[in-house]
Amino acid sequence: MEGVARHKVSGGKLVTVKVSYSEKIERIQILGDFFLHPESSLSLIEQALIGISASSTSEEIAQKIFDVVKSNSIEMIGVTPESIAQTVLMAVKR
Amino acid sequence: MKWRVLPLATHDAFYNMATDEAISDAIAEKKAPPTIRFYQWKPGAVSIGHFQSMNDEVNVGRCKSFGIDYVRRKTGGGAVYHAENGEITYSVIAPEDMFPKGIIESYKVICGWVVDGLAEVGIGAQFAPINDILVSGKKISGNAQTRRRGTLLQHGTILYDLNVERMFSILKITNEKISDKMIKSVEERVTSVLGHKKISEEKLYEALLNGFTKGKEFEFGKLSPEEIEKTNMLVKTVYKTQEWNFMR
Repeated sequence: MEGVARHKVSGGKLVTVKVSYSEKIERIQILGDFFLHPESSLSLIEQALIGISASSTSEEIAQKIFDVVKSNSIEMIGVTPESIAQTVLMAVKR
Repeated sequence: MKWRVLPLATHDAFYNMATDEAISDAIAEKKAPPTIRFYQWKPGAVSIGHFQSMNDEVNVGRCKSFGIDYVRRKTGGGAVYHAENGEITYSVIAPEDMFPKGIIESYKVICGWVVDGLAEVGIGAQFAPINDILVSGKKISGNAQTRRRGTLLQHGTILYDLNVERMFSILKITNEKISDKMIKSVEERVTSVLGHKKISEEKLYEALLNGFTKGKEFEFGKLSPEEIEKTNMLVKTVYKTQEWNFMR
């Protein structure tokens, strides 16, 4: 199945998540007008979410993102691990 | 440290974006001084943020029929319509240790130069975090920053004239973007210099030049042959390519 969700982060930027999934997330793309340094690291976050259960909780997804952010010294502006996680959940229609 | 100022010049979208990257590389390699450049876009163009989808943000077919270029930036942020003679764009490229470590703090410093420039022509503007400059609550300038190899690059536009109809016909504005601020239309959230002061573009450029160089040691300069070569290379291998512009 495929899903798309768009979410305006309160006081932040716009995040769009496009996802292909069955039991697990098979493909994911995170888009938006946010800032993330270094820019090349967004693909690390996307990679980390591939293969996780499509029925993961928002907290579980946010933790997965946070781990990548921490281990790669990523700086996010206008978006947070939590807001991306919420958008992923919105895209995965359960 | 003495700044190099590259005076207002007009190029296409691909050359403009490639120039910023070539200068950034030269500064990272300690082959160029910190640089402030001013430029315009011919033909008019849309630039999208690093993480945006070209097809989601831009009506590409309409751009083609209007002869408008479209390019992906190295920096994040949103899609911007750069009308020919409708704005002045600047870039500040410098070793990052010349600025506060915090991204928002460094936006505040450089956006302060824009605010100072606008004040010179009697327009009272304010920095509005994350990356906007507002006049009476409406956006007059959008800015975007990245840091790479110890070098800070911030570029931004100062709207001189506003063609809302053209902007709307080229950019795909999402409801979410507007509804968050309870604002009904782009007209209600965007303004331009001409909406406040009837001044020439030359006068605006002079004012911005003063705002950006106030209290700094600087000299007018030009790109080095190496920077020009790198720019031309990046135009061909990155900024004009489908792979880059449609990668998301």
